[in-house]
Amino acid sequence: MRTTVRRIVLMLAVALTGLAMAQTEIRVISFSQGFAFPDLFGTSGTEKTDILKQFEQANDIKVAIEWGDEASVRQKVLTDLISGGGRYDVILLGSDGAVQTYGYAGFLEPLESYLATGDYDQYIDMNDVFPSIKEANTVDGHLYGLSYYAFGPGIIYRTDLFQKYGVEVPTTIPELETALQQLKDGLAKDGITDVYPLTMRGAPGEEPTLDLAGFVYAMVGYPAWFEGGAVTPDQIRESKAKPIFTGDFKPGFAEFVKLAREYGPPGIATHTWVDMMNIYSQGKAAVLLPSAINGYAALTSTENTTVLDNSDFAPIVVGPTGKPVESFWSFSFGINKASKHKADAMKVLAFLTGERSLQEFANRTQWPSVPFESVMKSQVLVDKWGAEEVALNAEAMANANPKYFPYIPELSDFMDRIGTAASKAISTGDVDGALNDLQAWALQRMQLAGYYK
Amino acid sequence: MAFLQRLGRFPASFVLPAVLVLAAIVAFPTVYLLYLSLRHWVIIEPLRYFDGVGNFARVLRSPDFWNSARVTFLYIVSTSMATLVLGMGLALSLNRTFFLRGVVRALVVLPLLIPPIVSGFAWKFLLNREIGVLGSYLLPAIGVKASLLADPHLALFSVVIADMWSRTSFMFLILIAALQSIPAELYEAARIDGASVLQEFRHVTLPLLVPAIVIGLIFRSIEAVNTFDLIYVMTQGGPGTATMTLSIYGWKVAFTSFDIGRGAAIAVMMLIATVVGTTALIRRIRR
Repeated sequence: MRTTVRRIVLMLAVALTGLAMAQTEIRVISFSQGFAFPDLFGTSGTEKTDILKQFEQANDIKVAIEWGDEASVRQKVLTDLISGGGRYDVILLGSDGAVQTYGYAGFLEPLESYLATGDYDQYIDMNDVFPSIKEANTVDGHLYGLSYYAFGPGIIYRTDLFQKYGVEVPTTIPELETALQQLKDGLAKDGITDVYPLTMRGAPGEEPTLDLAGFVYAMVGYPAWFEGGAVTPDQIRESKAKPIFTGDFKPGFAEFVKLAREYGPPGIATHTWVDMMNIYSQGKAAVLLPSAINGYAALTSTENTTVLDNSDFAPIVVGPTGKPVESFWSFSFGINKASKHKADAMKVLAFLTGERSLQEFANRTQWPSVPFESVMKSQVLVDKWGAEEVALNAEAMANANPKYFPYIPELSDFMDRIGTAASKAISTGDVDGALNDLQAWALQRMQLAGYYK
Repeated sequence: MAFLQRLGRFPASFVLPAVLVLAAIVAFPTVYLLYLSLRHWVIIEPLRYFDGVGNFARVLRSPDFWNSARVTFLYIVSTSMATLVLGMGLALSLNRTFFLRGVVRALVVLPLLIPPIVSGFAWKFLLNREIGVLGSYLLPAIGVKASLLADPHLALFSVVIADMWSRTSFMFLILIAALQSIPAELYEAARIDGASVLQEFRHVTLPLLVPAIVIGLIFRSIEAVNTFDLIYVMTQGGPGTATMTLSIYGWKVAFTSFDIGRGAAIAVMMLIATVVGTTALIRRIRR
């Protein structure tokens, strides 16, 4: 009997010791399985590499990652955040709505106090991060996200077609129109019907908004969504700034729609970044803009030698105000406020988004779309694209104004709605109708949210 | 033993555990959905409160809802009828003995095994006007120059085609099973009475297929109401809102506008419409 009791006590002691020594599990949720973090989770996204194992061992942390397609990941993140369960510690964000919405709603852990301790310097040097990237992930003065990769605006174009039709690289929006018209005329004259002067994205949803908001910004020189260029909830409330989608927003919107309709491929009203990438990579478009990253994705995936040998990058065009056509996005991650292991989650976040991780990203993808200046100017990217092109990309990133659209809690809703209006206007040609509907909806949306009380 | 004997007098007690489990699995989410639909719950707003039918009223006042309801209705009717006609044609054609019958039937059923999201991707790239085999080569060759997916008048037609390809085999399976259960004597009797092939179909086959047709239509309608992945992958509800069905609209309201209450109200309305529609069809069978 005594022996049995001793055995039970011994087993309990072993079990309790095991529990006490158990690693803290940090759960990460992301999309792009196999593409994101293959240096840590392999190309299948399900294995653990030695680099990750060493990190886990050194920090007594177990990193568990969950993958999914973007839409379902975003649903899972939202569900977890509103339930307050803290299932995921490190969550997928994005500077086109999630950072803003979740940041204002208080679902995210501010990161600045963690970074100020210096405990994470071995993984991430925040001084090396482009200020625009930090700004993109900052809401109401708090940094909520660290970027895995990001992009600024630019033009990827076919040098052979520009040369053939005597087209100059445009620097302004009118010059862009002239260039596209020359390309269109030249292609038509040669009887080429399956190559289009331009590829952009015009599918309903948030995607085209990232680009067309850049045209709005360039045309009037400010984020013309609300009266007076109000971009924060406080500014909108204080001045009771009404939406101006039928006002100053219109020239940029109309320009985007005009370019898409006159120079884009026939299916552009449902094209996402995947379509624009495919079209460029197959040699079916002469110009890709303003989200240059999609051009780089095309160039690093195509086997079409004509496209590979005859493509170049140029800085994005500017509008009449001298402001550039912005297109800026940051694929960022943040920490769930309900996480029970925030310090460890911060360690994992810094590790996942630090220079080492991004250098691996650059080595593998060769995209000059990284948030660190040092990685942007690293040898692998210079060797691939040349020092001049890398410098231009670094400049585009450094000079980008990520707040070329308002930072309000309702941003996701607006992004989706504006993109859908653009898709409609591109497919029907009715710019005024689309903008009138958008204006009516926006006014109602802001009233419902209590901005004008 | 005595306990079991006592229990045996109350047969319902044997069923009770299963009922409770089913209630927890099926009824709870539905009741919770109803509860959510009656609350004002926008996740970016601090206040959450009972709002009565406020969400329903807001949904009904929204032009987007009515546009989505119209698109959904057209989608349900066109996909259900198209799959019925095609499924019927296939079932009638393949309901006889011929060489390689098994192989042909297997090929007909194959699309059913492919997940709608995969079908959606396949059709998106097939119909793509710039690089798709159908959209950029075959269709222009026969004079169709427009981009089927990006034309507001043709986009719905495109997703209906994809749905037809994906789901006709379902209707085929139901109808061929029903066809095989029709006694051959009925056809013999009809032929003795001098009935033509068309008369046989009109007076023998069709009346006996009605229950199967109605069941097929019920399943197809329910499936069409809930279709999300296929349409989302192909057009994302666009161009504009040309293919924005209620399921996509409800998803956007809940997960893009973050209006959980209104999203739930749309789901409840879809549920009610589905129940009413299927009940009407079931009554049709009973008659």
